[in-house]
Amino acid sequence: MRLQFQKGDYAAIGLVVLLAIAVALAFLPGRMKDAAGVEIYHDGVLVKTMPLSSDGSYTVVGDYTNVITVSGGSVSITHSDCPGMDCVHSGSISAVGRSLVCLPNGLEVRVIGQSDDVDFVVG
Amino acid sequence: MWILWWGEDMGKTKRLALCAVLISLALALSYMERFLPLQLLVPLPGVKLGLANIVTLIALYLLGSGSAFAILVPRCIMGAIFGGGITGLCFSLTGGLLAMSVMVLCRRIPCFSIYGTSVLGAAAHSVGQILAAMVLMNSVYVGAYLSYLLCVSIFTGLATGTAGAGVLKVLRKTDMWKP
Repeated sequence: MRLQFQKGDYAAIGLVVLLAIAVALAFLPGRMKDAAGVEIYHDGVLVKTMPLSSDGSYTVVGDYTNVITVSGGSVSITHSDCPGMDCVHSGSISAVGRSLVCLPNGLEVRVIGQSDDVDFVVG
Repeated sequence: MWILWWGEDMGKTKRLALCAVLISLALALSYMERFLPLQLLVPLPGVKLGLANIVTLIALYLLGSGSAFAILVPRCIMGAIFGGGITGLCFSLTGGLLAMSVMVLCRRIPCFSIYGTSVLGAAAHSVGQILAAMVLMNSVYVGAYLSYLLCVSIFTGLATGTAGAGVLKVLRKTDMWKP
């Protein structure tokens, strides 16, 4: 049983750091486009598109209720009655490619760029 | 080596009782964890200390991989019954099983101590949860969270590894694990 910290453990930490950097590069947000609007997905289905230029809010009712608010060019989930409230704690976002997620409700709010041409296709 | 010998020599009843105690300990820890406001420190969905992983580590190092799996699966199922729900079960099982598989391998690699094993296990747990989220949300964009979760898992993995090492240092001196 190896209970003392060993040199190999640094390699384990390094491995995780490398993996984190690789994933971050793969999902690099806002590479080329300015943020234009947000897409709201509920259970994987696009239910609403909102421009970031004008303030407004939208309510999604599913297993739980989320209120999505666009204000001053950024979007946030301002109210949720889900138990964890992670989505509300996630704050507001405005960079292309970033997203807000409420897992209990199956909700995803995604910031999209001006032209909607395809960056890459997965799977 | 001595642990393998004890493991085989330990009576079935004693092993069963120990597993039962460890399952309830893991359940209590994962319930307790909900009251720790780690989310306020790191505002990301799915971030948690992984206190139940301390139990998994102890079971893996003292009782072997078979018993560790036998503790993990009932813990996830009972956790779902007590409040996680089916969604919670998907996340804890994919994360937990992936983490356990990685830790079973790491324990056999001589250059890793319990700390490295714990960090890689925590990282694998994050990967499993994100994979489950990708399937459930039907979106690859959730993967963007993974790099944040991986960074956090280095610290939570070191924390649970430290706790596990501390407990194991004391436990292996006792005769609790002898037949």
